[in-house]
Amino acid sequence: MSDPNRNGQAYGFQAMTPIQPGMEDDLRAHLEGMHAEGSPFAKLARTHMARFVIVPDFYNDRSWGQKEEHLDLQYLIFTSNLDGDIDSYLDELCDVVAPDAQEIWGRCVGCPADASGTALKKYLKHNQIDCGFFYAAYGDATVGKVQAALAQREKVIAFASRTQGLDPAELQQAFVAEFGGK
Amino acid sequence: MSAQAPSAGPVTATGTARGNIHGQAIAITVFSTIKWWGKPFLPVLFAATKRVPKLTTTLVQLSFIHFARWSVITELPYNGPPQKKQKWRYPHMYFESNFNGGWEEYIDAFSHILTSGMTAFWGSSYGFPKPLPTAPFKAYIQNNETEASHYYSAYPDATTTMINGALDIDRKFAPLKRSAEGMDPDAFAAAWERFLTDSQHAL
Repeated sequence: MSDPNRNGQAYGFQAMTPIQPGMEDDLRAHLEGMHAEGSPFAKLARTHMARFVIVPDFYNDRSWGQKEEHLDLQYLIFTSNLDGDIDSYLDELCDVVAPDAQEIWGRCVGCPADASGTALKKYLKHNQIDCGFFYAAYGDATVGKVQAALAQREKVIAFASRTQGLDPAELQQAFVAEFGGK
Repeated sequence: MSAQAPSAGPVTATGTARGNIHGQAIAITVFSTIKWWGKPFLPVLFAATKRVPKLTTTLVQLSFIHFARWSVITELPYNGPPQKKQKWRYPHMYFESNFNGGWEEYIDAFSHILTSGMTAFWGSSYGFPKPLPTAPFKAYIQNNETEASHYYSAYPDATTTMINGALDIDRKFAPLKRSAEGMDPDAFAAAWERFLTDSQHAL
């Protein structure tokens, strides 16, 4: 049976962990203080896109004909869209992100006292929620491949603009100088 | 080639809370409560959608989605007190999307282009008002949406169209790079012209 969390080489990871009562505001402040440019995920080269979301409760509307249902605690959702296999990714995450991990999952119920390494990995896998359906628009391309292709596209656009009007020999020479012959 | 950030186009990420935005990328996170019949129905729908590529054609055509996922959650792993071992009355569906463009335009496009797909995916959710007209559907999503506290993209300035274009260019560019040096200049100039014409949509 195929892995429901996989699309091409891309993997969709999700963990949902209960937040220690009283810690919600501190956790939110820490997460909101991590600006995207300085995100811990920037240190994980296999992360395409990731998020932290604090879910306070389910939305209830009696006019919809449902009975009210509430979460017992507020929950932290962590999702990542990543390259390759999840085990080695979580190894990297639990190592590289350890200082932030203590501030994040360290505020969640059941998290090991030292929120790092194999203990944190085990905790995250215990709280993993499988995807029902995972869509990736370019699931065969790694982060490195996407970034390199975008950079190359920029170079091609600049080169095409710069070399308009060159004769064939000059154009070829400029091309080889810019992009290499092989 | 070293990776560089592409030049940023106009930022189109609009219509949502600040926490859901990184560059051009927008996060949407939605929980919905499922009626009893959604529990057996949705896994079948997900499996069929995965196995029949034709069913995702429209999703691909909506070329502003990077990654998206749907999950049906019936219970949560237990981590000890003070978490309670909860037996939920209802299953709940988690949906997230990573896309570029405006939030309003995203919902509009979903509703107008993926009308039957939306009904299939959300039809078993309490309160789902049908995709059209879009105003009640937008209100439904807003009620069930939660803002991200942190959102990250590895290539925040790139849209899905730019990325697919860049990957397409990469496929077409590799043979030209390999053969450029050994070609006759006129043949090279013709090949370069052909490459530009073939890649026009992606440049």
